[in-house]
Amino acid sequence: MLQSLAGSSCVRLVEQHRSAWCFALLVLGYLLYLVFGAVVFSSVELPYEDLLRQELGKLKQRFLEEHACLSEQQLEQFLMRVLEASNYGVSVLSNASGNWNWDFTSSLFFASTVLSPRGYGHTVPLSDGGKAFCIIYSVIGIPFTLLFLTAVVQRIIVYVTRRPVLYFHIRWGFSKQVVAIIHAIVLGFITVSCFFLIPAAIFSVLEDDWNFLESFYFCFISLSTIGLGDYVPGEGYNQKFRELYKIGITCYLLLGLIAMLVVLETFCELHELKKFRKLFYVKKDKEEDQVHIMEHDQLSFSSISDQAASMKDDQKANEPFVTSQSPTSNDSSLNN
Amino acid sequence: MQPAMCSGKLQTGLLVAGYFVYLLVGAAVFQALERTAEKQEKIAAAQMKEAFLQSFTHLTVAEMEQFMKVTIQNGVYPVGNESQTEDSNWDFSNSFFFAGTVVSTIGYGTLHPKTAGGQIFCVFFALFGIPLNIVFLHRVGKMLSLLCKKLGKFLYEKGMRKKKIKFLTLLFFLATGILVFLCLPSLFFQITEGWSYSEGIYFAFITLSTIGFGDYVVGKQPDRIYFSYYRTLVAIWILFGLAWIALLFNLLTTVLEDTEKIIVKDLHQIGKCFRKNAEEGHGRACWFYLDFAACKKSCLFQELTCTSFYEALHNTFGRRNKGI
Repeated sequence: MLQSLAGSSCVRLVEQHRSAWCFALLVLGYLLYLVFGAVVFSSVELPYEDLLRQELGKLKQRFLEEHACLSEQQLEQFLMRVLEASNYGVSVLSNASGNWNWDFTSSLFFASTVLSPRGYGHTVPLSDGGKAFCIIYSVIGIPFTLLFLTAVVQRIIVYVTRRPVLYFHIRWGFSKQVVAIIHAIVLGFITVSCFFLIPAAIFSVLEDDWNFLESFYFCFISLSTIGLGDYVPGEGYNQKFRELYKIGITCYLLLGLIAMLVVLETFCELHELKKFRKLFYVKKDKEEDQVHIMEHDQLSFSSISDQAASMKDDQKANEPFVTSQSPTSNDSSLNN
Repeated sequence: MQPAMCSGKLQTGLLVAGYFVYLLVGAAVFQALERTAEKQEKIAAAQMKEAFLQSFTHLTVAEMEQFMKVTIQNGVYPVGNESQTEDSNWDFSNSFFFAGTVVSTIGYGTLHPKTAGGQIFCVFFALFGIPLNIVFLHRVGKMLSLLCKKLGKFLYEKGMRKKKIKFLTLLFFLATGILVFLCLPSLFFQITEGWSYSEGIYFAFITLSTIGFGDYVVGKQPDRIYFSYYRTLVAIWILFGLAWIALLFNLLTTVLEDTEKIIVKDLHQIGKCFRKNAEEGHGRACWFYLDFAACKKSCLFQELTCTSFYEALHNTFGRRNKGI
């Protein structure tokens, strides 16, 4: 009796420390990853930026020489004002004056980028009232979006993942694991082609100066909700059917986000990943008879918190760290 | 089962419709608020351009537009004297900051890769970095909620009721979070960046919700000097703030979800309980289960209050209710 007690407390100690070691490793890994990214970005982009700066410097010099009455200071003042306006999305070039940033469809596009928090920044609220409303709108809207996405994804997952897997498992007699893995990979491929490759091809046709890589880059940056804003479709000069285009993009991005979450959820339901994930989570000290209810609570809380945090996500088949858990607990509570 | 499923579909349908209505309403309000400001900005910019051209009459519009187009599109700030060109946008600390904004999905966009290689690397970097970030933030969030757990335990030992504890811990979490992550940093930014207090709050919120427009970015004012670990400090603030906001958004989502679920579940339980009560006469056990189920479903901090609640139950009822 004493031995088993001591044994269990020893195991718990080791497990506690294991969780702590795993966390330390996680922190270190995260910092190293950022440093690695910084080094690579710096080495890739710095030479190009250097070149660009030199080019611009020469251009400015030439411009000043050609128009000798213009003093450098006056030009700089003018340029500062122009760049400032451009940062707010207002262009002073004559052939761009047709594009309004705040007509209804562009505002709709803006609202959708605020709620699925991408925030391109190509248009930003200029007035104080707009900024205040933006904050209030997103405080309510982002949880609303989370709720909306969770509900929709849960419904879709039943038809897209659970039923087919069950069907193939019964029909063809393979083990559930194998069917699940194959299904996940196939779903991943279909999603990548439907929501990345095909839209990238469409954007590269519709946008004047985007090649395929840039369109794919845009699709990825938008659907992962990073939303840098360096490429924004529908902002080209004299874009035809601009309103319809903007609405179409809004719908595409929303559907794409839902598809990403469905694929992520499918991968998370794979058994192997569940075991791998548990390495990083805190092991709770629980007594024997509390186990089942605690598991239930823990799963449902962390599933919601994971789904909230995993609004930013991706689709690759071999990603090592996935976190959002399957809402099996929610399912079982629905079936009660 | 059928009526439950139907009502579930109705619920989802209402939710979807409600979401689209919310988007449309937001669009209309933004349009109303911003249209005039944008018009004014355009007029001001056009006037300035006119004035500029008039004072230098031999400058043609085409030439100037050509020049401006290049400067605007390339996003490199051509203003400034030679010494500024030594500080690059892609030196190590700026690249580190960029990597952080990509991985946390804030994505300001003031700095972005322009080479094809940089863009491809950005895609793969984000692919592995975002899940890593999620796991990391989850762990940090757990650390934050441990603090609230301790407070809850402390209050419970003082003998407060569960619901009051729940409410107070939520309030405490909200209030301290807003103070530490929104109000104090805004004061700090007022000093270091020269923004107004409301601009600081706007920046803090837009960053922590990962919207990240990029209209306000730290450390980017060309005429200010920043102390050496300024950006590192800001990065730490962003990290903890993100974890706090994620937990906050969870709570709001759970509140929205659970309010309707409590009602549904309690109604079911009451119905079941009365039937069971009539058959077997286990009155007290039934009401105990009802109370427990309601509390469990309405737990905002399920790990917090249900652990302590369960412990209390176990102590008082453990020996008596063997059938549960």
